[in-house]
This record gives sequence, C-alpha cells and structure tokens, in this order.
Amino acid sequence: MDATLVVEGVTKRYGAFTAVDDLSFTVKPGEIMGFLGPNGAGKTTSVRMILGLIAPTSGRVTVLGADDPGQVRNRIGFLPEERGLYRRMTPVKAIGFLASLKGLSTAEGRRRARDLLTAHGLAEFMNKPIRSLSKGMAQKVQILSTLAHDPELVILDEPFSGLDPANQQDLEDLIRGIAARGATVIFSTHVMQHAERLCDQVVLMTKGRKVFDGSVEAARAAAPRTLLLEGVFDPAALADLPGIASLTPEPLEPEGVRVSVALKPGAPAQEALRVAFAKGLDIRRFELREPHLHDAFLLLTGEGGQSQ
Amino acid sequence: MIRLLRIARREYLAYVRTPGFWLSLLLLPVGLSTAVLAPMAVQHNAPTPRVAVVDFTGESLSGVVGGALADSGASTKAVIVPAPGGPFANPVEASARLEPYLRGQRTLPGGGRLDAAAIIHPAGDTVAVDLWTRNVVDSGYEQAVSAAVQDAIRRDRLRALGVDAKTLARVESLSPVVSLFSPKAATGKVETEDRLPEIVGLAMGLLLWMVVLTGAGMLLNSVMEEKTSRIIEVLLSSASVPEIMGGKILGVAAVTGTILAFWMSIAGVVIAVRSPEMAMGLLGVFTHHARWAYFALYFAGGYLMFATLYVTVGAFCETTREAQTLLGPMMIIMSIPPIFMSQAIAHPDAPLLRTLTWIPLFTPFMMAARAANDPPLWEIAATGAMMFTVTAFELWVAVPAFKSGALATGRFDIRVFFGSLVRRQAP
Repeated sequence: MDATLVVEGVTKRYGAFTAVDDLSFTVKPGEIMGFLGPNGAGKTTSVRMILGLIAPTSGRVTVLGADDPGQVRNRIGFLPEERGLYRRMTPVKAIGFLASLKGLSTAEGRRRARDLLTAHGLAEFMNKPIRSLSKGMAQKVQILSTLAHDPELVILDEPFSGLDPANQQDLEDLIRGIAARGATVIFSTHVMQHAERLCDQVVLMTKGRKVFDGSVEAARAAAPRTLLLEGVFDPAALADLPGIASLTPEPLEPEGVRVSVALKPGAPAQEALRVAFAKGLDIRRFELREPHLHDAFLLLTGEGGQSQ
Repeated sequence: MIRLLRIARREYLAYVRTPGFWLSLLLLPVGLSTAVLAPMAVQHNAPTPRVAVVDFTGESLSGVVGGALADSGASTKAVIVPAPGGPFANPVEASARLEPYLRGQRTLPGGGRLDAAAIIHPAGDTVAVDLWTRNVVDSGYEQAVSAAVQDAIRRDRLRALGVDAKTLARVESLSPVVSLFSPKAATGKVETEDRLPEIVGLAMGLLLWMVVLTGAGMLLNSVMEEKTSRIIEVLLSSASVPEIMGGKILGVAAVTGTILAFWMSIAGVVIAVRSPEMAMGLLGVFTHHARWAYFALYFAGGYLMFATLYVTVGAFCETTREAQTLLGPMMIIMSIPPIFMSQAIAHPDAPLLRTLTWIPLFTPFMMAARAANDPPLWEIAATGAMMFTVTAFELWVAVPAFKSGALATGRFDIRVFFGSLVRRQAP
C-alpha cells in the first residue's frame, strides 16, 4: 500500500535560521502519527510544509501521491494550532462552508455538519452563533469542521490544547474513529500522554531536527527501565548490580533509603533484583518501572524543562 | 473558480446579515427625504415674523416697503404691524424707541415680539432705509427693500419728468433675452439636460471614490478578522491565494454593488416621478457613446486596484492600529481626487487634470469625472490598459505577500511588509 505521506530530506531556512533540518519520515494509511517536540522544535513549520502552505528550502514532500499538496487539498483536513471560527456564523453554516471549499456542495456540507454535531452532542447548539458557545464547544466545532468532507489525511496542530479532560477524552475517541475508518491522522503535541495512548508512530523533533522516528514501544525502549528499591541498606552495595546504568538514592523518613536503579537498555531487571537479594540486603519494597514516552522524550530531546 | 464564488458568497452574506449593511442601504433614502422634508418642516413650524415700517419721506413709501417686507425672500412671509411707541419725531428717535421691541424687552400691543423694522427717511436726492432685524443671517429683507425702494424712486422720478404710466409700465417690462449655445449641446442651445453629463461624471467619480473607501475598509477588516482568529490558515489549506483574495474582493464588490443598485433605483424612481424629462436626460447620458461601459471600465479597474492593495495590507495586520500605520499615507493620497474632480466640471481638459489622469491611483476617478468631455478613444484605451496593468502587477506582487502576511505571527513589522512586496516573498 502506498504511503499517505512521505517527507524526504526536507529543510526549511529563514535566512541564517534553520527551522527544520533534513527531516524525513513516512506515514502509512490508517496510522495515527504523533509529531512530538518542545515549543520551537519545528512542528508547525513542518505541518505547513506538508500542507503546502510554505515551500521547503530543499527536500520533497509527497502527500497522497502528489508532489504538490495543493492538488490534493480536498482530501486533507487541517486544524491549525491557534483556533477560531467565524463568530457570527452558526456551527452548521461554518462547517458547511469549510466543507464546501473541500469539494462538497453547500447542502451536503451542511447535512454532514448536522450529522457530526448531533453525533458529538452539539445538536442543540448547531443553529446558534458560535460566539454564544463555550470555548470547549467552539473548539469541538472547529475540529469537526476538519472532518466533514471525510478527508483521507487529517492534520491536527496541537489539537488538545485548551480542552478540558472530558473534551480531551472525546477528542481521543474521535481520532481513533478517524483512523478506524482508514484515514491517516497526524497530530502535533507536546503532551506525551495523548501520543502514548493514541499513536502507532511518533516522530520526535527538537531544534528543527528529528531525533526519533518509530513506534511508541521503540521510543520507550530507548529510555532506561528503572528498578526501585526501598529498605535499610547502604546504596553503595547496589553499585555492582548487573546491567546497572546509574543509581539515585534518596533518604526515607523515619529511616531507610529509596534507590532508583536505571538499567541499561536490554538489561534483565530480574537478574539485578536476584543479585540484590543474594547480597542479603534489607530490601522491604521493590518495583520495576517501565519507561513512559515522556521519559523517552526527555532523553531523546534533552528538553525536559519544556515537556509535560 | 467554485471556491472563489463560495468565498465571495460567504463574504457577501456575512455583511448582508449585519445591521450596518441595512443602515447603509437606508442611508441615502433617509438622507434625501430629510434633505427635502426638513426645510419644509422648519418653514411650516416657524413663527410668522412681525415687521413695522416708519416713513419720514412723505413719499408714501411705507406701502412699498411694507409690501416688499411681507413678500420678501425671507423664510416665512411677514405681517406688517403698526410701529409701536410712535409717533416719532425723527429716525434716531424711532430707532431708539423701537429697539426695546426688537430686543424682546417690550412686547407689541397685541402680544408677541417685533422681528424687523424699516425706518425710511430722506437722504439728499434719494432716500435711506434703516432696516432693523433680529435675523442678521437672512439677507432677504435687505434685498427686497432695496429693490422695491429703487423701483419706487425710479418710477417717481420718471413720472416727475413727464413719462406716462403706460410708457413706464412698458419700460419696466423690458428685459434682455440671453440664450446660451454650445457645440456640445444636443440642439446647439444649452438646456438643463446638456449640463447633465458634467454632473453625472462628477457624481460617478465621487461614487467610485466612496465605493473604494467603503469597500476597502470592509476588505481590510475581513482579512484582519480572519488572520486574528487564524481562520486564514484553514482557508489557505483549502483554497489558493488568488481564490481567497478574489472571493473576498468579489464578495465585498457585491455588497457595495447591492447598496449602489438600491440607491440608484430609489434615485431613479424619484427622478422619474418628479421629472420624467430629467430621467430621460440621465438615461441619455449613460447611453450616449456607451458611456455606461466607460464608467463600468473605470469602476472595475479602480475597485480592483485598491481592493487588491487593501486585502494585502489586511493580511499583515492584526489590529486597527497596525492597519492605520500602513494606510495613513494612503488616506492622504486618497483625499486628493475629490479636490480635482470638482474642477473637471468647469475645466475637463485642464492640463493639470489631464496629467493627474495618468497617475494610476487617480486614473479611475479623474477619467470618471472627465466623462462629459468624451475623452478620445486612445486615451480611454491607454488609461484602461495602464490601470489593468498596474492591477495585474499589484496582484503578481500581492499573492505571495498575502500568504506571507497571513501566516506571519507576532507584531506587524513594516520592514517585513515591504520586504515581502519587493521580493515577492512567499514564506
């Protein structure tokens, strides 16, 4: 099956500043891809190049088989990072209008708008001006406006920002639904939890460069697993455990110590634990912590201060 | 093309559904009605002026002056009342005694105040009239009294020289018959209809100027609103820049076109009802040498030229203040055409006006105002070509600049704006 999106060696420079540097990745149909990175990583610039809004300085973008994204714009749905809609329009008319720009008739666009709004609990607000809707509802309307024309590729730039937890959950379900009907979803975010729950593939960027491209599991595997040991013992006794990368002790009240033992990639935690017990240490609690995408993000981007 | 039309339709409906559109639509009919009805209402409700006449000449001029005052061109006909406080020994005393009544310090015997008083007294070989009035702006009394007394004195002196009444009446009825002829007049003799082309030309020039200013403001605000709310980014992912710009320009043109069509229909009906000859004359002005096409050419060219500019500026601005920074100099330039358009009525081929015609920003206005003079075909073709060439160049520069501005974030930077225009810089 042909890839939905192929980005090959794409670079974007503004004078001396390089916003995106030699970016390459591929997204297959039906996949959900997370475009992750701290603020200023080059995510929005990359999204704009994928949409054809700006031209790469070098490299090539192929979207739905076309070298010019403008040729396939009717098959793409896009939600920009900072959102807004025509405040005086009703949700039905706003969605209908945007769908009509994607090749649907105005009547068909409005019919689909009514179906979508009803399906997502906005039926009673569909004919009220958008300015009278709450911020969450207005954001939902805009997200739905990207879907009314049944796009094959949906690009969402920071779609979760500004949504409350309930609406975030709704959006996650919506994204899974889009992928379930065969469309490809690309969304950028710096909130790792959403990407971890949703994505088949993640591309991590920092300072314009790609630092990781692969599955969530592969990303996690890049981060160390951690063996947590609590008890009354000397942390130095753990220094020669097999597969250990580093250890971080912290005192416990009223007595004892908690030691986080970072394991080298692929090192078996059971062997380290067995050796620790074999030393006869007074270990009262132990826990093996699998790494999260967040850990991988911190490790791979080195931008921990800006991530969540 | 269909996207362009859909953007135009949305733009049109967005404005048509605002109260401002309906206010604009009703502005002219309400304004015209007010202009016609207000003076009538003022005249109808104004109190009847009371005037007094004191004659020291012994020539029975009080009747003449009284009649002139009563029938004067003043806003309302006056009534003659007996001079209060009389009899008077001399004009100075008359003035002194009448003044309190004119000041409103005293009232007339029947109640009410005295509005004007004429004190007629000899002055050498002629007579003098000291005219007191509360209304210093209304010169109607002064002119009426002057003309009436002059006629009366002339009649009196001629009668004294032995001219009989019949001859006197015949002499007074003599007046020259002056007719105006012009090669531009349809029959050679200048009639009211022959002056219509100049008036229509000026009106169309001013109308275009108004349309440009109104439409430009709408376009600017529309693009600024879409940029501020980031809808512009969604539009850019759904349609090409020419489709977006074209749709907006067309939509706003339809809005202003609707208002103009309504205004012109109302004006047409009113003129046709009140003066069918004038209506036919106006129709003739537009159909003569296909002048309607001439006006359409300069309306389309002028609107496109300015609309493109304002749409592009809007893409770089997120606040009105930012827009004003860019458009301040533009507004100064835009204030020039009306000054010179009014000159085109009297001097359509003045060298300065012809020179201004060749400055692209002024071309549509000046050519519309000069329409009555039927500029030669070569001039129409050349200015039309120049106008559309400038517009095409403007579009060529503006399309990438619009995208650059629409996707830019942060504060407006005038260097970025001009840089984008000069380099045709897409982001």
